[in-house]
Amino acid sequence: MSDRAPGIGGDLPVTSNPSRWNSDVMQRRVARRYASERRFRRIGLFAVALSAGFLAFLLLSMVINGARGFTQTEIKLTVNFPSIAAGVTPAALSAKGGDEALSGLDLEGLAASEATAAYGENGAALLSDGAWLTLRDAIKSDPTLITRKGEMWVPASVEIDAAAKGRGDTANTRLVAQLKTNGQIKTGLNKTFFTSSDSTDPTVVGIWGAFKGTLLTMLVTALLAFPVGTLAALYLEEYAPRNRWTDLIEVSINNLAAVPSIIFGLLGLAVFLNFFHMPRSAPIVGGLTLALMTMPVIVIASRNAIKAVPPSIRDGALAMGASPVQVVFHHVLPLAMPGILTGTIIGMARALGETAPLIMIGMRAFISSPPTSFTEPATVLPVQIFLWSDEVSSGFVEKTSAAIIVLLVFLMTMNATAIYLRNHFERRW
Amino acid sequence: MASHKMSARDVNVFYGEKQAIRNVSIDVDKENVTAFIGPSGCGKSTFLRTLNRMNDTVVGCRTEGRIELDGEDIYASEMDVVLLRARVGMVFQKPNPFPKSIYENIAYGPRIHGLAENKSAMDHVVETSLHRAGLWNEVKDRLQESGTALSGGQQQRLCIARAIAVDPEVILMDEPCSALDPIATAKIEELITELRGRFAIVIVTHNMQQAARVSQRTAFFHLGELVEYGATADIFTNPTQTRTQDYITGRYG
Repeated sequence: MSDRAPGIGGDLPVTSNPSRWNSDVMQRRVARRYASERRFRRIGLFAVALSAGFLAFLLLSMVINGARGFTQTEIKLTVNFPSIAAGVTPAALSAKGGDEALSGLDLEGLAASEATAAYGENGAALLSDGAWLTLRDAIKSDPTLITRKGEMWVPASVEIDAAAKGRGDTANTRLVAQLKTNGQIKTGLNKTFFTSSDSTDPTVVGIWGAFKGTLLTMLVTALLAFPVGTLAALYLEEYAPRNRWTDLIEVSINNLAAVPSIIFGLLGLAVFLNFFHMPRSAPIVGGLTLALMTMPVIVIASRNAIKAVPPSIRDGALAMGASPVQVVFHHVLPLAMPGILTGTIIGMARALGETAPLIMIGMRAFISSPPTSFTEPATVLPVQIFLWSDEVSSGFVEKTSAAIIVLLVFLMTMNATAIYLRNHFERRW
Repeated sequence: MASHKMSARDVNVFYGEKQAIRNVSIDVDKENVTAFIGPSGCGKSTFLRTLNRMNDTVVGCRTEGRIELDGEDIYASEMDVVLLRARVGMVFQKPNPFPKSIYENIAYGPRIHGLAENKSAMDHVVETSLHRAGLWNEVKDRLQESGTALSGGQQQRLCIARAIAVDPEVILMDEPCSALDPIATAKIEELITELRGRFAIVIVTHNMQQAARVSQRTAFFHLGELVEYGATADIFTNPTQTRTQDYITGRYG
């Protein structure tokens, strides 16, 4: 043996000088390395602060604008129902055909005349155009009201509402102050906003119709996209041979996930509406269209989750004499489930916020009653937001923001569910 | 004369174009522990995996030749590979308990093969298997805890218990101690010695002392060929081939 380095480059003699770790050159090099590390950390911190700032700005402006949308100013009105009863009895109202009898009553005129009587000749202008709806609903729930005088709180007009919230002109602000001292006006939680649907009058609009439409649409999407996407991913990962065809399918799925959503809307329009003649504006069509859009996302996420299951688990189960399908359903799927669920909910959250494809299939219609089935015309939250943001009346501004808050809360609930499910199903191996 | 449990004749294994096993013929005894030794990449693990057709799961792997289990050709088309693997169990290099409870790890095999009629029969199978694997006293109070929470050596014995639970005829062990410390290794070796006679055991090992300690028959593989096969004592003290001699004296490998 000689003084040569063993193994590597056997004929290279060890001649280099020993490193001088304390030399100036070395010290400067070390200092440079630390400086670059500090620089990198500062850039990262800046990036995080920037995105957090944007998020905070978005949330704050939404909440500040939207909080007003959850409240509504109401005006006290004493209503003399018998004056328009014209022989309609409580029994007739609660019997069959009562709705027709009710619609025969001139509640609109009654509200206007009572307002004029109570608040002077401009009194009717204090009330919302939809004020009479409150009277109608009151009689509906208690038909005996028709026989007596009733004291009701009805929604105020857009101008009065704005003045009560400190954003009106001087005349209305003074008027509101006067009404307040008389105890004839109050601003409270807007229950109507959660129970009614779209309307042309911003004081009586609500999101319940759009919310229900969203629920029905998402239900269709989930019921279709989750099983189909998961099973497709399982087949591609566990069973399909690796060849040119499966490569082609993989590329197609990746491309589909990147296709702009409006194209899926056009596809839904062409296939579900024009070819299969399914009902226009219906949650079932919206759900099918969004399912098409969500499926590639679920397939990709599920395949990654399935790939992450260690092969040793598959080997272990196969070596016990488990059949391939038992390996998949007893071992691979349960272990991949957290990842699959996370991918599904992320895909669903994206579908939840989609507007464009639903507009293409007619879900932007004016829907004033909540859908009761999958085939009835409906709209969804993001489309409702889009529609309200387009309205001229200034009362819609705060309703739009309020609807956005509802949508964001819905989204956050879904994401929280995703995190919960992931933690709940996660196992170590 | 020991009776043969499995016998291989002229087995060739290919990974795509590459040939991993060349014309290997070998007989595995029923009562003895058979050790496969050889340098890394010599094909001993590949050959072991042909014995329960685990190579079928490897894409591009092709096996030629004839392998018999009790005279039945295991590569015949009428052979049910699921039942074959129940009869020829396997323990892997890295302990791979299922991420389930200790109880469920053992009960899984008997359950999918319908070996236990009811809960008490299953309890019995689980207890017996853990006893045989020498793990019962260590885990009897925590059968519902996760199998992955055990130490490496315990996990490997759990995997052996899991293999025993389906009552196989042959147990294949692919370097079962290479991820374990010396104490855990000693326990596994002891266990192998105890299991000998009840099951035909084939063990792949890198550790020649281990082969010498636990096996009665040793096969030396090199470059995909079976160089020498015989009684363990003969292989280690009086090899007939120079390649075997070089390997066991540490000349290469």
